[in-house]
Amino acid sequence: MKRLSKHLVYIYLGFGVLVTILLMHCGLKSLTVTVPKTAQVNEVITFLLHSGAEPRIQSGTYTTQLLAGIMVPKSWNARKNLTMNFTSPKGNGAMRIIPDSEIEPVSGLNWHQAAKKMFGIGPNLVDDMDWIIFRSVQSYTFVNNEDIDFTVRATCNVGSENMLVSLGFYVGSSIENLRPEDTDYKKFTFSNAFQVLGGEGDLQDFINPQLGTVQPVKSLDNDLISLTFDAGVTNTVLDKESNIYLYVKALDADGQLLGQELEQNVKTKLQDIGGKRFTIDLWPRGFFNVSKGKQIAKLEYFFTDQTGQKVVGYGNTEEPFKFTFRCD
Amino acid sequence: MKSRKLTKAIIVLGICLASLQSCKDEALALINEEPIKDIAGTWRVIQITRNGEDLSKRMRFEDFQIEFKNDGSYLVSDALPFIVDGQGAYQLNDPNYPFSLILKPSDEKDALPVKFQFPIVDGERQLSLNLSLGCSSNTYQYTFERVGAAK
Repeated sequence: MKRLSKHLVYIYLGFGVLVTILLMHCGLKSLTVTVPKTAQVNEVITFLLHSGAEPRIQSGTYTTQLLAGIMVPKSWNARKNLTMNFTSPKGNGAMRIIPDSEIEPVSGLNWHQAAKKMFGIGPNLVDDMDWIIFRSVQSYTFVNNEDIDFTVRATCNVGSENMLVSLGFYVGSSIENLRPEDTDYKKFTFSNAFQVLGGEGDLQDFINPQLGTVQPVKSLDNDLISLTFDAGVTNTVLDKESNIYLYVKALDADGQLLGQELEQNVKTKLQDIGGKRFTIDLWPRGFFNVSKGKQIAKLEYFFTDQTGQKVVGYGNTEEPFKFTFRCD
Repeated sequence: MKSRKLTKAIIVLGICLASLQSCKDEALALINEEPIKDIAGTWRVIQITRNGEDLSKRMRFEDFQIEFKNDGSYLVSDALPFIVDGQGAYQLNDPNYPFSLILKPSDEKDALPVKFQFPIVDGERQLSLNLSLGCSSNTYQYTFERVGAAK
């Protein structure tokens, strides 16, 4: 008899926990975004994040603050330029950036780093992105079945650089943090290609695999840079070549030639690093023997075979690859 | 009987005090033994990492050397990028516990501090310098080994 009553206690306890889990469900609706296809450099654009709350609470209430974030290229300087607010049937509200000093409890990182770790950079191939997370100034209390839709407006200057990029978006509930296993309280998505046009520099394509890349993305002529030719991206005239060479010109800010290496020799030969990729590491100032006081502003280059007759340029065209030296 | 116990207690106490004293001596001796870090000599680069990526396997930089002379001057060969070139004066921020190497080029006004480590690897000192060459977002670690005896 005693044993039976002990079992009953456990059964009641288990049932209670189950009921609590089932009834305290307050999820967010899936996230969709309105993002224009293009913008002009330095234009201030508003991105719309559409979602909603679906509170399923059998007893008590659910009080939280709204979280929203976007992922944009670092060059947008979104920490300074981004503003957010939201509209909803429960009232419209202001949002503020979460300070770096505040730690997201699950990851132990600040909220912006935690979001980057959790959501990544989506379809982008170049990691030069920042996630920026905002939080509503006010808290909001929900009762059962108080379903609402809300729209977050994220407004930001798109910077001065030409680019093709996929942007990231997130909405969440402040009391839930960024738990990896949670799918109800954090909704995120990445946009289709968004292009910034009309600037002076080269197009930075974050999305499409590139025949030619330069690492680090942000460099000056005194950095050590790596130029890589990825022959696996598309078919080119260099498909069957195992020896790839760099044909390169260094220009100053006025477009004047500071140096060039147009011969196929040991100095200009790329190294096969596997996976149909070839790379050359160089110190631009030393490579072009640039004298003190002069600065290389940009490189224009092609990849060639050993004879110099087979040439691949930007996007597999006859146009050169271009790289502009700059920092953030 | 009581006096024997007391004697024993005094002896034990004496041993304890003596051992404490010896610990103190040892600790003091250890502190005193920390040598002045002498980086005089010619050093060559054996590894360079850029933002954590090891470039050593792909790049050749055996020609790059830096010489620290006993008179406090340095001389940099010009085969690789560095935060200074040519010659100038050097000093460690602390002769016993240095964490930065201060380089003052002879043709410039300002001195440049570089984050400095001086580990012993396989019984030999290595010189490890952390610096930025171009954009501050790019960090490099240069590891050197000594090629010549101190002059």
